[in-house]
Amino acid sequence: MRINLSLIIGIILVLIIIAVWVLSFVYMPYPPNEMNISNRFLKPGIDSEHILGTDNFGRDILSRIMYGSRNVLLVGIVSVTLGTMIGILLGALAAMLKHYSDKIIMRIMDGLMAFPGILLAMMLVTVLEKGIQGSIAAISIFMVPVFSRLVYSMILDTENLLYIKAAKSYGSSKGQIFFRHYIPAMLPRLITQFSSSIGSAVMIETSLSFLGLGIQPPFASWGLMLSESRQFFMGYPYLAVAPGIAIIITVLGFNLIGDGLNDILIDREGSDE
Amino acid sequence: MLSYVLDRFKSSIVVLLVVSIITFFVLMIIPGNPAQLILGTDATPEAIAELHAAMGLDRPMYQQYLSWLLNLFKLDMGTSYVYGESVTALIARSIPVTFSISTFAMAIAVFIAFLFGMTSAIKKNSVIDYFSRSIMQLGAAIPSFWIGMVFIVYFGVKLKVLPVSGFVPIERNLAGFIRSIFLPSLVLAIGEVGTLLRIIRSSMLDSLKQDYMDMARVKGLSAGKTYIKYALRGALTAPLTIMGMQFAKLAGGTVVVETIFALPGIGRLVLTAVEHRDIVLLQGLVMFITSTVVFITLIVDILVMFLNPRIKSFQEGE
Repeated sequence: MRINLSLIIGIILVLIIIAVWVLSFVYMPYPPNEMNISNRFLKPGIDSEHILGTDNFGRDILSRIMYGSRNVLLVGIVSVTLGTMIGILLGALAAMLKHYSDKIIMRIMDGLMAFPGILLAMMLVTVLEKGIQGSIAAISIFMVPVFSRLVYSMILDTENLLYIKAAKSYGSSKGQIFFRHYIPAMLPRLITQFSSSIGSAVMIETSLSFLGLGIQPPFASWGLMLSESRQFFMGYPYLAVAPGIAIIITVLGFNLIGDGLNDILIDREGSDE
Repeated sequence: MLSYVLDRFKSSIVVLLVVSIITFFVLMIIPGNPAQLILGTDATPEAIAELHAAMGLDRPMYQQYLSWLLNLFKLDMGTSYVYGESVTALIARSIPVTFSISTFAMAIAVFIAFLFGMTSAIKKNSVIDYFSRSIMQLGAAIPSFWIGMVFIVYFGVKLKVLPVSGFVPIERNLAGFIRSIFLPSLVLAIGEVGTLLRIIRSSMLDSLKQDYMDMARVKGLSAGKTYIKYALRGALTAPLTIMGMQFAKLAGGTVVVETIFALPGIGRLVLTAVEHRDIVLLQGLVMFITSTVVFITLIVDILVMFLNPRIKSFQEGE
């Protein structure tokens, strides 16, 4: 097998973020919310006590980036996992029960897909709470139609294959067929989609917190850090550098893993290579 | 062919009905009494009850939904309590801003994506191909609010060549209009160019493998002619569909970019509605945005059908 560059770079980037996340539980240079007005706007520097500098409240940016990784990964992973599970369930129900259930479920999914970008998440945040639970719920619901459509079409594609027909004629129950046959057949695509979806979930989470609808101050989140720096960054551009790069590394990492897996698991011909 | 158009039209209507149900009922479960929100905390219980009844909030849910839906058809979406103005008027006033930046953004994205997508497919694994694929990945991973902030510092504050906020209507000053939408459009374009480039590149690669390409070469057509006349034509369907979806998404409001550049567009209205829990405004906006998306997608699907005889004959063959 040829070395897949996308996958390797993706894994390295994601490992960096995971390392930061793990480290944040063990050690952070300063408490992330500790204000120190006499240390406002310290410039970043290797020999400085604050490697990435301090913000308008004198809080240590490195510590806040580390703390922020918790929220980003928590929201990203939990919401995509929830969305995947509900999506698989609904897609499978629609495809395997047929009758009216497929029409009703898939029409609702079409309806949800008509909401562009973060509009659906914003609408849901209005109803739920601003903050971490609200973000998780909103992004999970955002992910549901993506996965249910994928599962629905994959089941329709495979249900007439010989081994599925054979299993049915053996008298396997719908549940057995689903878990023994459909799930393994769908796994490559699901894993690929899962990884890229974490990338988009992170993007939505940071956008929501940038708009002030996600995690609330004083807690640190990368999107919120960028939004808080808006008033000051013309004078202190470094404020925007670290959170921006953190977001890019995370999204790029998960997207590259998704692409790499896609080349290896699905598109073996590798039209991209 | 007509049946395909009718079919697509029917399913668009169904999608919009589903959206209207989701929108109405999801936003109805919001905690708190809208009448209370409008009158504020000092209002007497009697005044609140009176307004509550006047707004029809004491009627059963389905009746409220039906009258809301009927009013939608009359383009009456109610009155926003934050602005104290009709939602229809607010939306109508914001359309030019959002429409201008999304159209301009799509123009930039389409130009860059076709230029690099086609060259990178033709010269596969060349330097330009690797460069295009990096744009593809980075474009999708850079948050628009971050690149927007970078542009503001660089073009607006350091070089002082472009305005960093506000919108100049086209009828007031053409040059000012272009200057005011240039940076926001560029930021939006960066967000969209990756997806489009990827699709163009892979459709083009597919198309280049087809037999008719050999045929064209055998006929002795020049390389440029074969690429434009045959390869590109064969590779147009998927990118067109994606372009439609992207334009629909942008036209439906570009909340983040409008926030950074302080543009009074649809996206700003959405954010205000969400921040103040202005349900009437948000319901109207969601219906407007999703209808735009569904309508543009419908138009693009029909366009694609005309361009791609294979879909046409497939539908007729049924």
